[in-house]
This record gives sequence, C-alpha cells and structure tokens, in this order.
Amino acid sequence: MIHAQNLHHRSLEIKSLHIEPGHTAIIGKNGSGKTTFLKLCAGIELPHHGTLTISGREPRAVHTGWVGEVPDNNLVFRTVADEVASGLRFQRTPADAIGPAVSAVLSEMEILHLCSRTSHTLSGGETVMVACAAALALSPELLILDETDTHLDRNAAGKLETIIRRRPAPCILQCTQDMDTAARADRVVYFAGGRPLYVGTPDEVFSHLSETEMYPSLWRIAGCI
Amino acid sequence: MHLKAEQLSLSHGEWTLSADGVFGQGVHLVTGPVGSGKTTLASALAGIFEPASGRITHEGISRLSLSMQFPEYHVTGFLVKDEIRSWHLPVTETLQKTGLTGRQDRKTLTLSRGELKRLHLTCLLGSPWDAVILDEPFAGLDCMEKRRVCTAIEEKTHPITIIFTHEQAVLPAADVIWEIEGNALVCRGRVPEAIPAWKGAPQYLTRALEEGARPENIRLQDATEALCRMHA
Repeated sequence: MIHAQNLHHRSLEIKSLHIEPGHTAIIGKNGSGKTTFLKLCAGIELPHHGTLTISGREPRAVHTGWVGEVPDNNLVFRTVADEVASGLRFQRTPADAIGPAVSAVLSEMEILHLCSRTSHTLSGGETVMVACAAALALSPELLILDETDTHLDRNAAGKLETIIRRRPAPCILQCTQDMDTAARADRVVYFAGGRPLYVGTPDEVFSHLSETEMYPSLWRIAGCI
Repeated sequence: MHLKAEQLSLSHGEWTLSADGVFGQGVHLVTGPVGSGKTTLASALAGIFEPASGRITHEGISRLSLSMQFPEYHVTGFLVKDEIRSWHLPVTETLQKTGLTGRQDRKTLTLSRGELKRLHLTCLLGSPWDAVILDEPFAGLDCMEKRRVCTAIEEKTHPITIIFTHEQAVLPAADVIWEIEGNALVCRGRVPEAIPAWKGAPQYLTRALEEGARPENIRLQDATEALCRMHA
C-alpha cells in the first residue's frame, strides 16, 4: 500500500520500503526519522528526492486521518462536537447526518460525555481521544497516529487499540514508544539514523532488539515464567 | 522537609479533586486515568494553580521546580546553547549528557520533540532543587532516554521528587505510590507494600503479581528478578 523508493528528505534516507495494508507500528529512538516519515506519508511535507506513493497515488491525493504528537495542536474548534463535525462539514456531508455521525464516533471512542466540552478544558489524554474521533469520523484510507498513546493511561490506550483492531482504516501507521503496543501490531518498522533498519513481523523485528530496552516488557516477563 | 496538601480542593467548573497528604523525602509516583486531574494537581502543588479551598505548605523547601508535560512551554533560549545557559549549566557537558553534541547553534524549537524533552529534563534534573514535580516526564522519550531519566531520578539528587505519569514500561524505583481515584488523591503507601494495592500498575507488574511474585520495587527488572527468585 505504501511504497517509498530512493527517498531522501532531511535526515531520512530510504532506498526501498514497502508497507502492506493493516496495522504497522513505527518504532525507533528520538530523532531517528519516524515523524518525518509519517509527515511524508500524510503529505504534510513533500520529499526532496525520490518517490513515496500510497496505493499508487501521491500522498496528498489520499484520504488521510492524522493525529499528531502534540495534543494541543490537534484541536482547532471551540467545542468537541464542532471539532469532530468540522471534517464532515468540509466534506459537505448533509447537515442532518452530521449530528448522528458525531455522536456515533464519540460513542465508539467512549467519550460521548465530552461532546459539549470546550476544547481548551480537556486534559492531554482527552484531547488525544477527541483528535482520534475527529480523524475516524472521516473514515480515512490511511490513519496516522504519531505517539498519541504517550498521553493515554492504560485503559484509554486499550480503548484506542481495540478501535484500531476493528480496522477503521485499511492502513494504520502508529508511531509508538510503547513496545508492548508495537508487539501487537501486524508488522513493525524500526527506524535508526533515518533509515528503516528492520522491517517485518513483531517477532522478526524484536528478535534484533532482545538485548535492548526496546524489547517488549510483557515478552520479557513471559520469558521469566 | 516536605510538601503538604491540607484538605485541598481543586476545581474546573463542575469538576473537583480533593487531596490530603504529605510528600516527604523520596520518590513519589502519582498515577490516574486520563482527565483525572494529574496536571491540575501537579500545577497546584507547584503553586501555579489556585485551589478552591485548603492549602499547600512547603516545609524546608526553598527551591522547587515544575516540569510541564510539553517541553515547548519551558523554552526561553533561541538557540540550544542559549537554552542551556539560561539554566546556568555548562554547554558542552550538558550537550554530551543529552546526546546532542555539536548542536549548540541549532534553533531550540527545531529539535525533534523527543530531543527537546531530553534537553529540558537534562537541564532541569541537572540543577539543584529541593523538590521537583515532573508532569509526564517520559512522554515523547524513547526507551533508552526513559531509562536515563529514571537513573537520574534514582540518584536522588533532589530530596523530593513527585512524578505524575501513566508510563507503563520504564519506571524508576519509587518510595511511595499515590493514585487519583474517584476525584480524590489516595495514598497506596510505601513500596513494596503498596504494589498489590496499586490499581494503575503497569501490566508487567500485575502479570508478575498474578504469578505469585513479590517484586521489591516497581521497575521491570524488579518484576523479572522476583519471578527468577521464584523459579530459582
């Protein structure tokens, strides 16, 4: 679905990378190029050299949902209901269909109680959940989550993961620093020094990282039982 | 030396949080669900959020610092070297500790979010405080950096450290565990006795407890060591 060839952009250098549809976890140290890669996939930035296509199209031609790493930057509108409705309005969804669609996605995320709250009164975690709801309301082809789970407690992160497992988008790229979450994805891409060093199933990728802090904690515990 | 919350009530509109307790010397870990008021309580303890009622007293604390969740809020220096100097710290040594050697002339806000958080925490933890309050210090950090921050906290350079977090994988050894539950701050007690009562414990810890292990502290290595002792 995502194909990068001879890509050079800022610190990123990708000779060839192919990512199948499904849930892909993007992992790596700070500054390894993860967010830069996600920005290219979302069409937020254009590559200096090389090509990146999604289902054979330019990223900007693809219907993408983006939830960034700074929660405050994700919300623009005054209330939660307006925030989630905004994308639907831009899509020219009929007015009488917007309210039910907003309620449906907020219910799915189990945050319907936040519907009338003003955005600036939300906590960091609540902001992330609302931003995810706004992205999902648009039924994106590609959903990008950039370290969104860093602001969520275990229950909220679990809810988000449950929703991801329902496959709300054909392709989900989730950048995470929670290796237990990454271990449950369909596949993992490990970035180091701007390059995708290891690509494969969680078993394949984490077999290279078993002596590091990046090895999933639950796998470490399972190894002791 | 301690930081005390006395019949504290914090409110935002209809939402309220009550807190009563003493944060003595050591490492305190405060956890709670999304929206439970961790950041509000951290701000109140640091004196930048006005409580609706009750009071906060600082006994023997003359230098207190709050690390906010978003490192951008702390930036005052245009260049990385300016930012480090604003903390009265040596530039070269601090860059080395942060893993940013050679980037002293980079614009501070062009660092990646993780790099900025690293820089901020290195500066903050490298300065002499009686008490530090850290709001989500691990957010945005990779696993290696989280471990480095944990090591710095465990050195106990600062007599009182209060950590507000929902980190689930890399945690420092702690002395006291607190949780926000049902709009109130609850003290679960001292570690290790508090561990079984800790509802927000990371999964690796609950998994080890389920197996009958009794970890001496809350780190992953404490859980694995306890399991290994059982099977030895």
